[in-house]
Amino acid sequence: MKKFLIKVNGNQYEVEVEEVKVEGAAQPAPEVKAAPVAAPAPAAAPAPKAAAPKAEAAVPAGAAKVTAPMPGTILKVNVNTGDTVKKGQVLLILEAMKMENEIVAPADGKVASVNVAKGSSVSVGDVLVSLA
Amino acid sequence: MNSIEKIKDLAERKEKIELGGGADKIAKQHESGKMTARERIDALFDENSFVEMDAFVETRSTEFDMQKKKVPGDGVVTGYGSVNGRLVYVSSQDFTVIGGSLGEMHAKKITKVMDMALKMGAPFISINDSGGARIEEGIDSLSGFGDIFYRNTLASGVIPQISVIMGPCAGGAVYSPAITDFIFMVENTSQMFITGPQVIKTVTGEDVSFETLGGAGTHNAVSGVAHFKSASEMECIEEIKRLISFLPDNNLTDSPAYTARDNMNRLVEELDGMIPDEANKPYDMMDIITKIVDDGDFLEIQKYFAQNMIIGFGRLNGNTVGIVANQPKNMAGVLDVNSSDKAARFVRFCDAFNIPLITLTDVPGYLPGVGQEHSGVIRHGAKLLYSFSEATVPKINVIVRKAYGGAYIAMNSKHLGADMVLAWPSAEIAVMGPEGAANIIFKKDISAAADPSEARKAKIQEYRDKFSNPYIAAARGYVDDVIQPSATRIRLINALEMLASKRENRPSKKHGNIPL
Repeated sequence: MKKFLIKVNGNQYEVEVEEVKVEGAAQPAPEVKAAPVAAPAPAAAPAPKAAAPKAEAAVPAGAAKVTAPMPGTILKVNVNTGDTVKKGQVLLILEAMKMENEIVAPADGKVASVNVAKGSSVSVGDVLVSLA
Repeated sequence: MNSIEKIKDLAERKEKIELGGGADKIAKQHESGKMTARERIDALFDENSFVEMDAFVETRSTEFDMQKKKVPGDGVVTGYGSVNGRLVYVSSQDFTVIGGSLGEMHAKKITKVMDMALKMGAPFISINDSGGARIEEGIDSLSGFGDIFYRNTLASGVIPQISVIMGPCAGGAVYSPAITDFIFMVENTSQMFITGPQVIKTVTGEDVSFETLGGAGTHNAVSGVAHFKSASEMECIEEIKRLISFLPDNNLTDSPAYTARDNMNRLVEELDGMIPDEANKPYDMMDIITKIVDDGDFLEIQKYFAQNMIIGFGRLNGNTVGIVANQPKNMAGVLDVNSSDKAARFVRFCDAFNIPLITLTDVPGYLPGVGQEHSGVIRHGAKLLYSFSEATVPKINVIVRKAYGGAYIAMNSKHLGADMVLAWPSAEIAVMGPEGAANIIFKKDISAAADPSEARKAKIQEYRDKFSNPYIAAARGYVDDVIQPSATRIRLINALEMLASKRENRPSKKHGNIPL
């Protein structure tokens, strides 16, 4: 933890800054930035792969994100990466507010990534699935 | 010039005015998928019923050589006519005439018909297609905007006001629609925003298209500014007519009653099997609504915004009712910032215009989360309680399943003055859900048990059996009757008939202070 003094419009603020270390998936991964997309998996590059965050958490650049509307638990995942889905199709079931909420595809598309698994706890705004 | 020539001269003058900005500009308007101001009026009003006013009005401005510019009708067509036989006033901005820009006289034409609409007690429709303030007319143009906003506010709650966005509506101009009751938008050809993409780009560096920033999709689904979205202008106009059919002319009359084709004694047997056996399984509340109202005819408002709450108009035995319902299929039907706002404003519209309110309740509670708390769910949620309490129109609540805690109170409960509360046998009216309640009440029993998880299950079941039903509330008189779902339509029509003469006096005051 580092402390900084910051002046804004003449007011002084004391700010504490802590670096977030990405190790494994212990913490809720910070907003997944489109991981350097190695388009078609290049078999000859194992080294950078190891450093990348969990493969399942990567959202391909340009893919439409389907996010969690409420905090809850994933009860069921109905789709796999590469599946073609129709608008309104149930992608997964999110148990929240004592209800099995159907999370549906906002548009026709292809599942570009599935970012959660059965049993995952999610917060509002977490990416569940991305569609291309 | 003799009399005949004078009459001919008049015809020529009118013809010129009716051509607006000229054939080229009209062709351009058509190319961009838009109708002209006059074509829109023709489509909206009954054939040959429209009467134009102030066609000869022109700008008084002489700055920047304005007197040399041809500004037929000063860029707006105003008047009155009948829509399905009912008097309606209209202003329709003409984009072909210097971009439909709003100058002093342009605004005067609009405020004149607004004043008449208010005096005669008839709906006012404002069709917006304008580049904004007419810069050449400076402060006079701003004065014009202010005059319109002021009248929008005076007319609010007196006559229904409908805004139709069929082109750009930018800057200050957006606040007239914002004050009115309903905003219609057309996909791809209409936009509303305070500052446009260019300004945003220079100020914040954000790159955004017109459509993403303030198109029909954005304002219907994201911001909640607009109420209706149509694929074309014709479709939009049909939707406006449909909306008007549900509304009264003003706050002193009732909505037109239609002779119902639907049987008032119709039992809806499907409703008996509508609620899933498990309390955590969703279903579509819309199925219940469309099965109850006359002919399944339900006009949903703000269909794409805060979808966990359904609002809209239907009819029961030919009379308009406003329906507010939780949607378990979307976000479990929770109350949150947006759904509270959406329902509260609708409740106040219905109350202002003598439209009875019917709520269908299946609500698990308020949405927990830091985001909600920090967005002011306290302040927004309060609007719902306030508006139901404030409403003096007939208020009927049907609790179909969950009604928990504060959300139970907010959803048109007996405690906020509902005239009739009916519950289905599937209703669960309690201070909170069985899971949460059992964990708190039986905390010690559960932790002391040999198998806490089994004990918890047993206690949850015990709580569910004891409290998750409508009979405890009914025993206190908070629920007037527990009814068979299939009889819901009959019981609602009966209750509305009984409540038709409802009169409720409140302490006199200037106005309340709704938490905004």
